[in-house]
This record gives sequence, structure tokens and C-alpha cells, in this order.
Amino acid sequence: MTKAAKVMVPAIKVTRLHKTFNCCKALDGVSLDINPGEMVALIGASGSGKSTLLRHVAGLAVGDSSAQGGSIEVMGRPVQARGRLASDIRATRARIGFVFQQFNLVGRLPVMTNVLTGSLGRLPSWRSLTGLFPLEDRERAFDALTRVGISETAWQRASTLSGGQQQRAAIARTLVQRAEIILADEPIASLDPESSRRVMETLATINAEDKTTVVVCLHQVDFAIRYCPRTIALKKGQIVFDGASSDLTPSALRDLYGAEADELSAPIQGSASFITDTALAVAG
Amino acid sequence: MNTAIDTARLSPPPRQSLVKLLAWGVIFATLAWSWSGAEIRPMALITDGANMGTFLADFFPPNFHDWRYYLEEMVITLHIAIWGTALAVVCAVPFGLLCAENVAPAWINQPVRRMMDSCRAINEMVFAMLFVVAVGLGPFAGVLALFVHTTGILAKLFSEAVEAIDPRPVEGIRATGANLLEEIVYGIIPQVMPLWISYSLYRFESNVRSATVVGMVGAGGIGVVLWEIIRGFYFAETCAVMLIIIATVSIIDIASSRLRKLFI
Ligand SMILES: Nc1ncnc2c1ncn2[C@@H]1O[C@H](COP(=O)(O)OP(=O)(O)OP(=O)(O)O)[C@@H](O)[C@H]1O
Ligand SMILES: [Mg+2]
Repeated sequence: MTKAAKVMVPAIKVTRLHKTFNCCKALDGVSLDINPGEMVALIGASGSGKSTLLRHVAGLAVGDSSAQGGSIEVMGRPVQARGRLASDIRATRARIGFVFQQFNLVGRLPVMTNVLTGSLGRLPSWRSLTGLFPLEDRERAFDALTRVGISETAWQRASTLSGGQQQRAAIARTLVQRAEIILADEPIASLDPESSRRVMETLATINAEDKTTVVVCLHQVDFAIRYCPRTIALKKGQIVFDGASSDLTPSALRDLYGAEADELSAPIQGSASFITDTALAVAG
Repeated sequence: MNTAIDTARLSPPPRQSLVKLLAWGVIFATLAWSWSGAEIRPMALITDGANMGTFLADFFPPNFHDWRYYLEEMVITLHIAIWGTALAVVCAVPFGLLCAENVAPAWINQPVRRMMDSCRAINEMVFAMLFVVAVGLGPFAGVLALFVHTTGILAKLFSEAVEAIDPRPVEGIRATGANLLEEIVYGIIPQVMPLWISYSLYRFESNVRSATVVGMVGAGGIGVVLWEIIRGFYFAETCAVMLIIIATVSIIDIASSRLRKLFI
């Protein structure tokens, strides 16, 4: 009885979020629910508010205070409400892995240290500030690097890696973090098609194997359809579509975006086999 | 017709020429204005030429009879510079971070900046005189003088380096749930480290130079020797000491600038 009555706590719950920058409204009453274990694509033309939305969910930015609602909850814990961050925001951030378009690794530090920073949220200060990471975390970091396929670069400076490798290092950081949610802001926008494919596959595998909720901003609808069962589409700060990615036919896109649709539906170039067996098995 | 247009395009617009002319005017006006205050008398160089000749002759040959003593004092001068710089570097790290706009809020960094401004504004000689009164004659007063002045300088240089960092890696660290100190240790310090090291070495070079003069007010080292022999008109000895200072400072400058190149 109790089990059936128990309502699933959404992994991410955004309620009527508004964000106004000096000039314009970047988010205009965004509400959405994402369940644990989902893999969701967030699409929209440049400037539609994708990055802004993700940064709010991670508590890296705060919404308008005047707006009604404007609250965000992650795994049932408040991130922000009415333009104020929750007081335990750092504990919540530790549960959210963020993958940035520009990787945001510390270039002068070894890849290993960059990946180990994923454990900062749960380490006591004397360990983190002296760099004495426990053996267990070091092992975890190395395993994570192995899992994303770049363990041989562990002791190289992060700045010496290729774009695709840096992005996978950033994903490894979220693994060390044991993030329950991964937010990826255009993780493949600056990568070539082959690297893009590997990064998306890595995310899909993590989503399948660890049941990690993944929200990924994308520019190309093709990738969304290929890797994410669900897509949320933004336009000028408003959600204009929220449903199965397979419903996003070219004509549906033209209805949503008009001339902007071309920007989103640029085909994936290069490779023919987009999805490896693991990812396929996962999707099925 | 055509050529007229072309030549006009080849020279800068009239406004720019006017500004340039004005700038030169201001420079010459300033120089003329300070002429009498500074009592510039070029003729004195010629009329007193003979005097200066005999004065210079007294310097040569340099007298290295007491070289052991001079060297010992020179090493003490180095010690003063080393400790003055080391203490300053240690203090400049927190103060530099507190001065930086992207680390501390305005109500913290404004007062700290003003404090550092005053450390910087007052010359180390002035601090040396004050510390000689406070802690007595000797090298420790020199160390304190260099320490205070250098902290002011390094804190400013350090904070400028911090303000110029790439904010994205720091945000990457913040997104893992790190606290402010962890953001600084993992996101900021690795980015500014090469610059900080280079600035510290550069200040060490200039502190070796400054340490030779703080002694003149009694704050220890070769400066004390220099002051005494100049006052006693021992010019040959003065020349020897000056040569030792020149040699030491040059060696330190060269070594440190080599070292700095490694970090940039
Ligand atoms: N820090 C900021 N200050 C001012 N305006 C901003 C800021 N960040 C975003 N904006 C504005 O908010 C709007 C949404 O920006 P956002 O970066 O979220 O778009 P996006 O969908 O991620 O675009 P892209 O695909 O180019 O990354 C844009 O109009 C942008 O100019
Ligand atoms: Mg963006």
C-alpha cells in the first residue's frame, strides 16, 4: 500500500522560473519535471535560454526574486526559491555534476587532480586544502578515467588534452562526484563529429548503467533524437515542446522555430554507426 | 583629384595630430615648470668640473683591504632581503586575494586595498627609520621595513593576477559543491601561480637593492658600512663597497630573471 502510494520525487523540478537580464528576459515562466533516470535533451536556438536554465538548476545563478514561484528543487531538496539560493546549496551542488561547453577544467593541473576535485564536496577541509585525497577517491578517479577511456592521460596537464578528451575528463569528474544528476551544457558544441559521438555515448552509458539522470543541451536535433528519449525545446525563454524526441520531425521543428529550424536540424556529419552496441542495448 | 584624396587618407586625421601636439606641449610645460624648483644648474657641471675630477680620482684605486668584512655585511644584506621578501609573499597571498574583486565583496576589498596602498605609498627608508626606533638598530628593522613595503606591492600585483583569471575553471570547481577556500586552492591558485612566482622573484631582486640602502639609517647590512665610510671620506673604500654591491645585485638580477623565465 504505502509503496504504491509513494509518489516518486522528481530528480529536477522547476516551477515558474523567470530570469531577466539587463536587456531582456532569458527565462519566461519555465516549469518542468524530470524523473530520476531520465535522459533528456534540451534544445533551442542560440540565445533561447538553455545555458541559463541549466545554470539555475545547478545553483550557479539565481532567478528573479519578484516572480511568483521561481523555485527549483533537485532530488526533493530546494536549490533556490524567489531569487535566493538555499542555505545548503553546496551539499546539493555536490549531487549535481555539471559538464560545460568549454570543459572548465583547470588547465595547469593534471587530469587526475581535475577529476579528483569531484570529491571536494564530501571531503573534510584539511584533506581537500592539503590535496591529500583518500586512496579510495584516487582509485575512483582512475576508474572513472578508465571508464571514459582516457586513463593514459591521467598525469598530463589538462590543457594538453584534445577537446574531446577534456570533455570526457569533465564527465569523469562527475563520476568521482557520484553525481545523481548530470547537467551537460552543449558538451559537444566545440567537438568534431567523432568526438561528439564518443562524448554522447559516454553520457548515454552512464545514464543506463548508473541510472544517473542526464539533461543535455544540444544544438543539433539529430543528436537529441539519437540519444535522448525525451526532448524539451526552448524558444525565447519559454518551453515550446516537451515530449518524445521521435515526435520532432523536420516539419514539427519548422512549426516550432520557423526559419531558425535550419540551425537546429543540421545533420550529423561523418560517421554512419552512431550508436555502439552498449548504447543501443541501453536505449532498447 | 584622386591623389589629393589618397594623400589625405595616408596621414592621420587632423584630430589625432592635434592631440599629439597638445601632449608634447604639456610635457614641455611640465619640465619648464619644475626647472627652478629642482634648481637645475647645468653650468655647475662645467664650473665645478675640476673639483669633481679630483673627487673622482679619490675613488681609485678601490681599497679592498677589508673585503672580508664587506662581504660579510653584504651577505647580511642578502639575508635581510630574503626574509623581507619571504614574509611579504606569505602575507601578500591572503591580502592579494582579499583585494581581488572576483574573490571578496567590495566592503572587504576596498578597506584592504587602502591599507595596501598606504604600505606601498611610504618608502622602505621611512619604514626603516620608524622600525629602527621601534625594534632598535640592526638588520631586523630592515627586514620589517622591506616586509611592510613589499607586502603592499605584492598584494596589489597578486590581486591583479587574480582578477585576470579565467572564471570558467573556477565555476567548474564550484559546481562540484566546493567551498570558497577550495575554489581558491583548486581554481584560482593554479592559474596565478606562475605570475605570483615571477612577481615574487622580481620583488626579491629589487629588495636586494633596497636592502643596501635601508642600512644607511641603521637598519643593518652593507648600508651601515657604506654610510660610515662615506661620512668618513674614505672614498677608496666606498668604491670597493660599491663595486661589491654592483656585482652582487647584478648576479642576483641575472639569476632571478633566468629563473623567472622558467615560470612564464
Ligand atoms: N550574464 C548575462 N548577462 C546578460 N545577459 C545574459 C547573460 N547570460 C545570458 N544572457 C542572455 O540571456 C539569453 C539566453 O542566453 P543563454 O546563454 O541561456 O542562451 P543559450 O540558449 O544557451 O544559447 P547558446 O546556444 O548560444 O549557448 C541571451 O539573450 C543572452 O544574451
Ligand atoms: Mg549556451
